Amino acid sequence: MHVRNLKTGKSAWQRYDQLLIATGAVPICPDIPGSDAIDICGVNTLESGLDIRRRLDKGTMKRGVVVGGGYIGLEMAEALVRHGLEVSLIDRSPQVMGTLDEEMGALVSQALRNIGVTLCLEETLTEFETKAGKVTGVVTDNRTLPADIVILGLGVRPNTALAAAAGIPLGEKGSIRVNGRMETGVAGIWAAGDCAESFHLVSRRPFYIALGTVANRHGRVAGINLGGGYATFPGVVGTAVTKICDVEVARTGLQEEELRNLGIEWVSAIIKSRTRAGYFPGAGDITVKVLAERGSGRLLGGQIVGMEGSAKRIDTLATALHAGFTVEEMINLDLGYAPPFSPVWDPVVTAAREVAKKL
Amino acid sequence: MPKERLIVIGGDAAGMSAASQARRRRPELEIIVFERGPHTSFSA
Repeated sequence: MHVRNLKTGKSAWQRYDQLLIATGAVPICPDIPGSDAIDICGVNTLESGLDIRRRLDKGTMKRGVVVGGGYIGLEMAEALVRHGLEVSLIDRSPQVMGTLDEEMGALVSQALRNIGVTLCLEETLTEFETKAGKVTGVVTDNRTLPADIVILGLGVRPNTALAAAAGIPLGEKGSIRVNGRMETGVAGIWAAGDCAESFHLVSRRPFYIALGTVANRHGRVAGINLGGGYATFPGVVGTAVTKICDVEVARTGLQEEELRNLGIEWVSAIIKSRTRAGYFPGAGDITVKVLAERGSGRLLGGQIVGMEGSAKRIDTLATALHAGFTVEEMINLDLGYAPPFSPVWDPVVTAAREVAKKL
Repeated sequence: MPKERLIVIGGDAAGMSAASQARRRRPELEIIVFERGPHTSFSA
């Protein structure tokens, strides 16, 4: 392996017996005019986050534009609002949070509007305006937004150029194909984290997901094997949580678009409940959507949007997905209840009951 | 004979989790992690 020291500029060949590729992912940057301008920022490392903060701390930036309404886009929109900027967010879809179904995404769109973010939905980025190499505006197919800083939240792609050049077989979305032990198709070379492929336990297909939770589990399995032990990584169900100010957002399993593409027939229900017993101080709204396979009732996925105490309820659904439960099996789950924590029927169980009626 | 060597490219969640697991199990293994940036394990 050839390595260059970025401080000294010196480079040298390094011998290895076993090699682990953990090169992560890189933000997707649109290939449009002006995209290399100053103050157009991706966020994928601690250093890139610190870099944005240093730019904001100068206090000269008034207007921020976030491109993309996913996890990064949402969290950065909140951060820019907290820094006192006037914030606009552009997304191609009718609602933000493409990893939720549209009616659940609409709740997140509203949460963004409530904190003062201007949403430009169903708009496509066409160009960046620049002056002396610095970004000054974002052009969509509908308008031009002045911008002192632009945050790219268009997702990531696996950082696998090195692996591809070395002839290592790639899989889903260009991630490195691995077996259950995290070995690549080349003997002695392993891969883990955001550069490596996963397996989806609900669709039973290869799946690419770039999340720190998955990366930690990938790394653990690879390390046990590299240390002479034996471990395998069974796969993921696609669980993720985030928040935008007071509103918590969570999802797991397959969403409608994925089910449509897979040809799986489903039924779903959306329920509104409270995060605590309705009469208990501090109870907040929570909306839960549950999806199950038509006929069999097999749980396929779920989404939650609500106030404090909402997001981590997704873990009940994630665990049920791992276990292969039906929504009927979920109804009798012995979950914890006392008024400060939950209504007597946990909102995720209420949603499962509603879905079970439609099977 | 030189020590058996594991090289890890990338010092964040996956790379450092793997390096620490390998170290725990095989104290004699030589482990080198290369990281382009100034921080390690920032999402671990």
